[in-house]
Amino acid sequence: MRAWKELIKGFWYENPTFRMLMGMCPTLAVTNAAVNGLAMGLATAFVLICSNIIVSLVKKLIPDEIRIPGYIIIIATFVTIADLVLAAYFPDIHKVLGLFIPLIVVNCIILGRAEGFASKNNVFYSAMDGIGMGIGFTWALTLLGIIREIMGMGSIFGIPVMGVGFTKWVIFILPPGAFITLGILLWIINSLSKNKSVESHCH
Amino acid sequence: MGKSFKLIVILTIISLLSGGVLASAYSFTAPKMQEVALQNQQKSIFKVLPGIKSYREFENDKNMIIFEGIDDNGNVSGLAYIAEGSGFQGKISLMIGLDLNSKQINGYKVLEHQETPGLGANIDGETFKQQFSGKSWEDPFKVKDDIIAITGATISSKAITDLMKKSVTEVIKIYGGEK
Repeated sequence: MRAWKELIKGFWYENPTFRMLMGMCPTLAVTNAAVNGLAMGLATAFVLICSNIIVSLVKKLIPDEIRIPGYIIIIATFVTIADLVLAAYFPDIHKVLGLFIPLIVVNCIILGRAEGFASKNNVFYSAMDGIGMGIGFTWALTLLGIIREIMGMGSIFGIPVMGVGFTKWVIFILPPGAFITLGILLWIINSLSKNKSVESHCH
Repeated sequence: MGKSFKLIVILTIISLLSGGVLASAYSFTAPKMQEVALQNQQKSIFKVLPGIKSYREFENDKNMIIFEGIDDNGNVSGLAYIAEGSGFQGKISLMIGLDLNSKQINGYKVLEHQETPGLGANIDGETFKQQFSGKSWEDPFKVKDDIIAITGATISSKAITDLMKKSVTEVIKIYGGEK
């Protein structure tokens, strides 16, 4: 059951956010509300799955010397498609994520998986890896968004949950809140896991 | 020489393929994006000019985007225009509605802002917005005087208030000067 293993490893044991600490820029920047974290995670997952599949398909056609520029062009193509589709069909989400969509191009996870996994494995496993990593990244960002939204705005996905007497901790939806939340989550997750570090291909 | 030529050819092919894919993706999404932009504009004009039936653009040589709102009887009852100014962290862009009969501000809609979430972003909240609905053009528009600022966002509140006062005067001058 190798396919299953490639799929689920991204959920927890090799979770890109909590175990490999990759793609920290969007993780910290856009997770001030649950819906933003979810949308960013899904957009990244889409790019990751597509680029993993294409990179794995063309890995023998691209000479070693130019594989990085080649991968970057492939990734940038899918990011631009995601950007256009979001702008046309989900203008509200596009407005919030704005600048961070083009920045998916330089997200370490995507190039890291292309270089470290898709360029060495077949299409099926690469797709599984992309889906697993994408889901892992998405739930991590959504969790951060949920925690910061509850603390900072007293709501989840825009629905108030904390009652009227709740004092909003505004710092949680500002940049320092991202570092505080991520730090505490990493502490909890590291103490839950026995193996403290996982080898990754990209830092 | 032969090696680098091969690399150049391969990278060129990859770029061409990518360009082709993007061109078709763009031509597929472009009409939808235009539609969204037009819809947003329409929605915000009808929001700030309640009760109008249609609108038309008012041409002027001052580079202001002004729309005339037309009521059921075919008369121009209000003006909607886009005002831009600096906020706390970046550009603020508003659609402002004016009632020509009562010489009052109907209200505004925030088209674009980069204010602090949770604080300055409340310029888009109803509590702050309501202060401007039904406010006369002649009022002083001073924060802490006739406008209550948002807690923790004095600069954003002041930005909106100043922008409102400045742009109303300007638009009335442009519109009044030509009519």
